[in-house]
Amino acid sequence: MASLTVNGHSVSVDAEPQTPLLWVLREHLGLTGTKFGCGAGLCGACTVHIDGEASFACQTPLEAAIGKAITTIEGLSPSGEHPLQRAWIAEQAPQCGYCQSGQIMRAAALLSTNPHPTREEIIDGMATNLCRCGTYPRIVRAIERAAREG
Amino acid sequence: MNAITTLSRRGLLGSAGALGFAILAGGALKVFREDAVAQEGRPAPLNAWVSITPGDEVVIRFGSTEMGQGVSTSLPMILAEELDADWSRVRVEQVDQGPGEVYGNPVTGGMLYTAGSSSIEGYFAIMRRAGAGARRILIHTAAQAWGVPAAEVTSEPGVILHALSGRRLRHGEVAALPRIVTDVPAITDADLKPRAAWRLIGTDPGRLDIPGKTRGETVYSIDLRLPGMAYAAELLAPVEGESPASVADSEARALPGVIDILRLPHAVAVIAERWETAIAARDLLAVEWTGTSPFRTADSEADLAASQAAAADAARPGVTWASRGDAPAALSAAGARRVTADYATEHTYHAQMEPLAAVASVDADGKGAEVWLGTQSQTVSIAAAAQALETTPDRIRFHAMQMGGGFGRRTVFARDILHDALLLSRHVRRPVKLIWTREDDVKNGWFRPATAHRLEAVLDAEGAVTALRHRVASPSIFAFALPQRWERANGRDLLVMEGAESAEYGIPNLLAEHVIMERRARVSAWRGIGWGPNCFAREGFIDELAEAAGSDPLAFRRRLLANSPRGLAVLDAVVRMSDYGHPPPGRAHGLSFAGYKATLGAGVAELSLDRGTGQIRVHRFWAAVDPGIAIHPRNLEAQTEGGIIFGLSGLLKERISIAAGEVEQSNFYDYEPLRLNEIPEIAVRIIESGAAPSGAGEIGVPMTGAAVANGIFALTGKRLRRMPFTPDRVKVLLDA
Repeated sequence: MASLTVNGHSVSVDAEPQTPLLWVLREHLGLTGTKFGCGAGLCGACTVHIDGEASFACQTPLEAAIGKAITTIEGLSPSGEHPLQRAWIAEQAPQCGYCQSGQIMRAAALLSTNPHPTREEIIDGMATNLCRCGTYPRIVRAIERAAREG
Repeated sequence: MNAITTLSRRGLLGSAGALGFAILAGGALKVFREDAVAQEGRPAPLNAWVSITPGDEVVIRFGSTEMGQGVSTSLPMILAEELDADWSRVRVEQVDQGPGEVYGNPVTGGMLYTAGSSSIEGYFAIMRRAGAGARRILIHTAAQAWGVPAAEVTSEPGVILHALSGRRLRHGEVAALPRIVTDVPAITDADLKPRAAWRLIGTDPGRLDIPGKTRGETVYSIDLRLPGMAYAAELLAPVEGESPASVADSEARALPGVIDILRLPHAVAVIAERWETAIAARDLLAVEWTGTSPFRTADSEADLAASQAAAADAARPGVTWASRGDAPAALSAAGARRVTADYATEHTYHAQMEPLAAVASVDADGKGAEVWLGTQSQTVSIAAAAQALETTPDRIRFHAMQMGGGFGRRTVFARDILHDALLLSRHVRRPVKLIWTREDDVKNGWFRPATAHRLEAVLDAEGAVTALRHRVASPSIFAFALPQRWERANGRDLLVMEGAESAEYGIPNLLAEHVIMERRARVSAWRGIGWGPNCFAREGFIDELAEAAGSDPLAFRRRLLANSPRGLAVLDAVVRMSDYGHPPPGRAHGLSFAGYKATLGAGVAELSLDRGTGQIRVHRFWAAVDPGIAIHPRNLEAQTEGGIIFGLSGLLKERISIAAGEVEQSNFYDYEPLRLNEIPEIAVRIIESGAAPSGAGEIGVPMTGAAVANGIFALTGKRLRRMPFTPDRVKVLLDA
């Protein structure tokens, strides 16, 4: 059994050490807000925070996450009202929604290190995450709004 | 942490005392008490569009499935408008299953089938009448309770009122009255609100599905977890039509947690206690495939070359898609000034962000099941499930899940993945979640077919187009996707050919025809459907005709649109928005007029080119669209933006190639949609004509191809006639 700290809680997981954190979160722990998109670190749908840093859960083996603080979309804000989540609603950003957890987690990591990014810094920082519906323009506006309104 | 707990939609119908209004065939209304119905032991009333609880909650159902296009808000808005519902009290519920004659979309053959931007188009009148009928029942019921004539009773949002006596009842209070008056006059068009009285349509309430999507709460089929559920992965045949000839699976079976390994006609499936075990075991399988499929010879380059030859070969017969006047005669007339050009597109993949997954729990007798699937068609999926179990559709309890993108991928795909999930669940007698990895989906994708276009036109002495012939050579999507319907379609494949009719252009002699090629890949509609390739080819060619006529692209199109006020309106609007023809130094503008069915659109791309690498950069894109009436304008703008990005992604980067029957791409490293740092600034303007509301999902796509190609011509004098416009190809063109 491995012990993990997820969203501030200590949880035990019965999984092989090499199991990608993505499957541990989704299938073992039921934290399905973190999404499987490519399994290869290409799309960012599985973005979570590991010790505050945006990381691909699909590329992180369970053993590498032990002893670190893991935050998923479910733990970003107890009330679900993180400034980015409010801004995402205000800008009506999501369409199908599938990539949006990863987008928000990526954006949260960006704002935590750079609270007032330029447009270019947003574009550069968010290019890691794919969206197929084409919500990119609204994602940029939502991050600008969150940075502005806090 | 159980995802299932969020799936409470069904629970609602059981709420005691809810008042339901069923819309029966022909639009008649029938009202029922759900508790009364339950007491009489009849089946649960699933055929209601709206119900009102004593707690004053208005529950509105909608027939389309949600894939991000916003129908879960826009369709209920239409009903709520006529009901005069208090929007803040509305809850929405998707119709997961039900008879087509009650719930089907008339535009999609009466099926529950969400495709082709048809939801608003097909359900607008139905939802209006359902709302108006429900309002009338509330009015008559309140009037009866108050002892006043119904004609004196009116409504405000959420309230029924009798102004003369000052009496008011909330909708929920009316629904709780002891006697509901169901014998009310039928709704006619004259009973519907005039547009000036609309309070909700044309406004921008927040999409109801969005808050959950910002919190990771929305449940997609891939997220489902059931008690006792097993996981399945499949090693799929590398080539369509092949089967496992031999399977060495002892290593895979030895992995702890593997439940069973099953040979299917087109795959070897691993069923395991855990997903990570299922995919690890799959990697240990050694399978030899039959290797004898006729698709082994499929080669996308050679197959497209054959289509190009067929399109150019006038002796090769085509199925007439649209005909006006006599184009062949005009084209062969002595002395006619003819212009000819060939265009082509290649296979593209949908790349919906959610990999495909299906969850099935087959009943103990093997003849029924509960099923969870993100699908564009409840009707098709239920039929596919019934077929897989050799049972009847009434034995399938279906949950149509939120889709992580559709774009045409999830129309009739149930016959692949849902079919297999059911067989596996029946085999292990447990619920099974079958997931296709990204690689599985790419390798087994149903692609937009490659198309070859030959365009020929006649210009008269004044430079007017007097004849246009548009021949499209491509396999039929319709024949593959919906074979039973294809038998009755007389060879007319709307999924390939729509848009080639060029209906808005005043061209007296026109012939659009389809040279149907043998299918050499799995094919499907792809966002924009036929309009994408056809408008790319046509609008690129129109620019060539303008050049040949010594006209400019705008004046030439304005002349062609002389009898289309709606077409001129969007064209002129986008010209104003973009200041078309006056790009900044080093950049160029390209113009395209391209609609989707009754929705008209025009786009301008502003682009530059790295001549060293051939890389096109689209900096800005403007679009003007006329959807008739915009139900939910901000969402319509979002759909158009998304469609533009989808179209640009396809034309700049996306290409599926097939060699020896195998798809050569695997994942987002070799099939990479546009990223945030590659998109232009986009501006969308809605130009309402007041025509019947038409769709929004596809409209952004068809205008993109020629806008970019024509911009490159304006910049370089070179014509891009084959999608995608990848840097290597642009470089070759520049150096030619």
